[in-house]
Amino acid sequence: MWPRPGDLKRSAVSALLGAMVLAALTFVSYRSHLDFSIASLLYLMVVVVQSLSGDFLAAAAVSILAVLCLDYFFTQPLFSLRIASTADAAALISFLATALVITKLVSRARAEATSAKLQKERLDRLYQVSQQLLMLDPDDATGEKFLEPFQRIFGVTAVCIFDAETGETHVVGDSRHQLAERVRDAYIMGRDSDDPNTGVAVRLFQTASKITGAVGFEGLRDRADAAGPLAVLTNLLLERIQEFRKASAASAAAQVEVYRAAILDALAHEFKTPLATILTAAGGIREAGPLTEDQSEMAETVEGEAARLGRLTSRLLRVARLDRDEVKPRMETVDAGSLADQMVAHYARQFRDRRLSVSRPGGLMEASADPELLRLALSQLVENACKYSAPGASVLISIEPRPGRMAIRVSNSGSAIPSREKRLIFDRFYRGAEARQYATGSGLGLYVARKIALAHGGTLDLETRSDSSPSDSSMRPPNDDVTFCLEIPAVQEEEVHAVG
Amino acid sequence: MPSANVLVVDDEASLRKALRASLSVSGFLVAEAGSGDEALEALHQRVFELVLLDINMPGLSGIDICRRIRGFSPHTGIVMVTVRDFEEDKVRALEAGADDYVTKPFRLRELIARLHAVLRRTRAFESAGPSVLTAGELEIDIPKRRLTRRGEEIHLSPTEFDLLVFLMKNVGAPLTHTKLLRSVWGPEYGGELEYLRSYIRMLRKKIERNPASPEYILTEPWVGYRFRNPSDPDSPPVPAEDEE
Repeated sequence: MWPRPGDLKRSAVSALLGAMVLAALTFVSYRSHLDFSIASLLYLMVVVVQSLSGDFLAAAAVSILAVLCLDYFFTQPLFSLRIASTADAAALISFLATALVITKLVSRARAEATSAKLQKERLDRLYQVSQQLLMLDPDDATGEKFLEPFQRIFGVTAVCIFDAETGETHVVGDSRHQLAERVRDAYIMGRDSDDPNTGVAVRLFQTASKITGAVGFEGLRDRADAAGPLAVLTNLLLERIQEFRKASAASAAAQVEVYRAAILDALAHEFKTPLATILTAAGGIREAGPLTEDQSEMAETVEGEAARLGRLTSRLLRVARLDRDEVKPRMETVDAGSLADQMVAHYARQFRDRRLSVSRPGGLMEASADPELLRLALSQLVENACKYSAPGASVLISIEPRPGRMAIRVSNSGSAIPSREKRLIFDRFYRGAEARQYATGSGLGLYVARKIALAHGGTLDLETRSDSSPSDSSMRPPNDDVTFCLEIPAVQEEEVHAVG
Repeated sequence: MPSANVLVVDDEASLRKALRASLSVSGFLVAEAGSGDEALEALHQRVFELVLLDINMPGLSGIDICRRIRGFSPHTGIVMVTVRDFEEDKVRALEAGADDYVTKPFRLRELIARLHAVLRRTRAFESAGPSVLTAGELEIDIPKRRLTRRGEEIHLSPTEFDLLVFLMKNVGAPLTHTKLLRSVWGPEYGGELEYLRSYIRMLRKKIERNPASPEYILTEPWVGYRFRNPSDPDSPPVPAEDEE
C-alpha cells in the first residue's frame, strides 16, 4: 500500500530531523578524529532512535545518509565517495544491511504498538459511547440527545443521522460540508460514502437486509476503521428506541382499552337500574288502569322505548365483553335453518321496508355451535345488512351445507362497500365513512362476529362476486350487493344419530 | 290467585318505590327493605311468601341474604334481580337457593309472571304433589310411568322419564345443569354436560313438535333448562331474538 500524502510529509520532516542529528554527530566525530568503527556504532544508534518513531521510510533515508557520511568522512580516500578497499566496501555494506534490518524490525514493532494503541482507544471510545447511549432514557432519546455522545467522545466536528422509518434527520455540531445532504444522498444512492477531502464518512445501516437509515460523521479521526462500528452501534440503539416506543404505544393502547371497557361496563350498569325503574313505573300505570286510549298508548310507548334501551345496553355490554375477553363457545347442536327463519321473522318486523328472505335446502341444517354466540354473530350480519341498505333493498340469508361445514351467507342489495374499506371493516372500531352517516353503531359488530366465527374454528369473510359459484347466483340479489359468508363446523351425521 | 305479600329488597329507593306502587296495583301486598340487614330483620318479624332480592347491594350481598333466608325459611319464594348478564351470577343465585331470577331492566309483566309462577310452585309444595302432571298436550302419569301426547303414548327410557318428571314438577323454574344432573342421575354427578345435553336432545325429539324450536324444554342460555307449560298464561314466551 502506498503511503498517503500526509504520511509522506510527516516522514520527510522526521527524516530531516534525523539528518540534522547525523550532521551534528558527523561534525563532532570528525573533529574528535574518531575512527570508522566507533563512528559507525554512533550512526547505528541514531538510526535505531530514528526507527523508534515507527516511520520506516524516514529511518531508511537516515540509514542511507549515514552510509554516505561514513564513506565520505571516515574511509580512504577521505572527502570522496569512492571506496578504495574491499574491506571498506564490506564494512559499509554490512552497516547498511544491519541498519536497514534494525530499522525495519523496530519500525514494524513500533507501528504495531501504535496501531494497537489506536485500536484500544477506539474500542474504549466505542465502549464509552455505547454505555452513554444505553444510559439514555429511551423515552426521551431524541435525535440530538442521541447524537451528542458521538460528538463528545469521538471529537467529531458534526454527526448526522437519517432515520428512514420516520423520515427524520438530526444533526449535532457545526458541519462545514453539508453533512445532512450527504447523509440523505448516501441513503438515496444506497451506498456508503467516504470523502477524504472533506473528512466526511457516511455509513448506511440495515435491519433484516432492508436499509433503514444512514449515519454520517464529519472530522472523525480514524475514519475508515471507526465509521463502520459506529454505524452498527447507532443502528442497534435506534432499533432499541423504536422497539421501546412501539412497546410503550402498545401498552398505552392496552391501558386505554381496559379503561374503555371498565367505563362502558359501569355506564351500562348504571343505566340498567333507572331503566328498570321506568319500565316498572310504566307497567304500573298500565296495571293501575283504567286508562284512556291515548294514555294507554303513551304508557306503552314509554315502556317499549325503555325496553329497547335496555336491550341495546345489554347487547352493547355483551359485545364489549366479548371484545375484551377470550370467546369460549359452549358447543351444542344448533339448527341453522330455524335460526335463520327466526332472524328473518324478527328483523322483518323491525325493518318493514326491507325484503328479507331465507334460502335453504329442506330438512335440519345442524351446526355445532354455541347457540347464543351464533345468534349474536348472525344478528350482527343481518342487522348490518338491513341498516346499511336502502329502503326496498332485499336481504337474503342463504344456508349451504358443505362437507363438514355449514356456510351461512348474508347478502343485501345495493350498498357496495368501497374497495379501500374492504380490508378494514373487520378491524375494531372501524366504521365506514358512509356507515357513520347512515346509522349508529359501535364499530365492534363485525370484529366481534369474526371473533366468534374464529372461536368456533370457522371463518367470516366478505365475499366478492368472483368468490361465489355461478350455479347458485340466481339465489342472490343482483349486482352491487354485499355478501358476508360465515362458515362454521357442521354436525357430522353419525354424531347426530349416535346420541341416545 | 289469593294476593301474596312480597318483600322488595333493593338499595335503589326509586326502584323500590316504583315496584311498591306497580306491584300493589297488580294485587300484591308490598313491603320494602333498603339493605340486607333490613330485609333479614323484616323476615324475622313477619312471614313473607315472596322475596324480590337485588343481587348487587352494598354490605350483605343478595347471594348471602338468599342463603340465610333459605336457612330459616325453606318455603319462601325468592326471585333474584340480577343486573349483569353474567351467567355465573344466575347460576350462583340458583345454587344459593333462589327460585328464579329476572335481569334488569325487566318488564313489569315479566316480573309478575315470574312471581306468580314461583308462588304457584311454593303453594303447591305445601300440598302433596299430584300423581298426574299435564302441560300443553302432554300428560304424564307418574305411578304408571306413562307419557301421552294428545292421548297417544310416547315411549321413554327410564332416565328420560325421570328427567321429564323432574322438569315437569319444576315447571317454570330455571334448573341449572348441575341441579338436573344431581337430582336425576344422583349426587355424584354434576359436570357431565354433554350427557345431559344428549338426553335433552332425545327428549325434545320425542315430545316437541319442532325439536329445533322447542316449546316445552327451553334452553336458559349458559345456565340450564326451564320447562314451560304452553297452556299457562303466565308461562314465559318462547325466547326470540332481541328486537334490536
